[in-house]
Amino acid sequence: MPSSRILPEFELLLPESVAEAVKLLKKYKDKATVMAGGTDVIVSGTQGFATPYVISLAKVSELDYVKFSKSGGLRIGALATLQNVADTKEVKANYPALYKSAAINGTPQTRNMGTVVGNVMRASPSGDCACALLALDAKIVFQGPRGKREVAIDDFFIDYKKTDRKDDELAVEIKVPAPKKGVVSAFNRITRTTLDLSKVNAAVCLTVEKGVCKSVRIAMGAVAPKTIRLFESENLLKGQKISPSILEAISASIGGQLSPIDDVRSTAEYRRDVSAVLVRRTIEEAIA
Amino acid sequence: MSKHPITLTINDQEYSIYVDGHHTLLQVMRDQLNLTEVKYGCGRGECGACSVFVDDQKESTGRKVVDACLALAATLDGKKITTSRGLGKDGQLNEVQQAFVEESGIQCGFCTPGMVVKSTALLEKNPKATEDEIRFGLEGNICRCTGYVKIVDSVKKAQKVMSKKRK
Repeated sequence: MPSSRILPEFELLLPESVAEAVKLLKKYKDKATVMAGGTDVIVSGTQGFATPYVISLAKVSELDYVKFSKSGGLRIGALATLQNVADTKEVKANYPALYKSAAINGTPQTRNMGTVVGNVMRASPSGDCACALLALDAKIVFQGPRGKREVAIDDFFIDYKKTDRKDDELAVEIKVPAPKKGVVSAFNRITRTTLDLSKVNAAVCLTVEKGVCKSVRIAMGAVAPKTIRLFESENLLKGQKISPSILEAISASIGGQLSPIDDVRSTAEYRRDVSAVLVRRTIEEAIA
Repeated sequence: MSKHPITLTINDQEYSIYVDGHHTLLQVMRDQLNLTEVKYGCGRGECGACSVFVDDQKESTGRKVVDACLALAATLDGKKITTSRGLGKDGQLNEVQQAFVEESGIQCGFCTPGMVVKSTALLEKNPKATEDEIRFGLEGNICRCTGYVKIVDSVKKAQKVMSKKRK
């Protein structure tokens, strides 16, 4: 058992550009871990999961940005911290689900270090930004030896910590679609203390016209091996007038779509029960 | 393992040193530079005992607080770092440190270096923080003695002193 207080040895690589980072990934593939803020990589390192090489993006300053335009939407570079995203006015105004998932994630220190792209790449089933970005229909942009590749977040999470990222690809950016008229979103989570990881989290993104739900995406985390969409509940809501009775039907539909587990943070039973309430409240918050 | 040559400016003093790639800023400060005011609590970004300022031009205040246990020293080449020792000027405590003394925000003292750095950051970014904002802002810094009441009182005291000085 490695010491949990000391990081095991690894070779740290510090590329200064995306091109250089991709070259290193092509060479070392799964022998290298890509690190941005380090809040996940270093902690898992102390638990003994380190690869022989760690590629830090600290000097790849071209990836340090959060950009927004009304027509192009939001673009989050791989070095943008949770705090950078939470501090961006346009994020709070246009993507409340993403804003909240970044602003209440971890602690002020880890928000100053950890990145939104990293939260998605880690593919923990309880990732808060991952959940919000799944509801917001984000896209992930990879740069690899074969060039650029864009993956819809729907296709990205495959299984427990298994993703569509190839081992020689670098996630450079996450894109969120431009805000359309009538689109609202919200995110909520249940934790013991705020700095804890989520027991359960939920995000919704809806288009509402005259009280009728035109389109909807409902995402949940920590209730399955990966962050998931609740398609059955979405189908119940789509095309319907949002009313207390439809919200009740949605609550009733949720438990059957989840496969939660008992673990140190909660029980499967609690996760299933609280999810029904959490999703309904999150929809209510989004349309309020 | 290759050594990385880096220069860190810690509390206005420049250190040009070689560090191992897998060594954290905390290890380098404590073991290589003997700056033991930065404490090793949990080593995984939960307790905040190793909180330090790192300069960051994207921040309105020009610097931000990080956990030194989660930052690899070699990634911080060229950065300015401030620990609790560097908060005051000319041997004087800063307003936050002075308030911790006056309000008994310290018991065993292990969390204090991180607490005063974090509280200074909090009041720099949000001088008018409410009690709720102070409590939310202090998350990530754990104290096992005080129950936080005296710490929150200390931050509020510092806030008062600082706002008087600005007038």
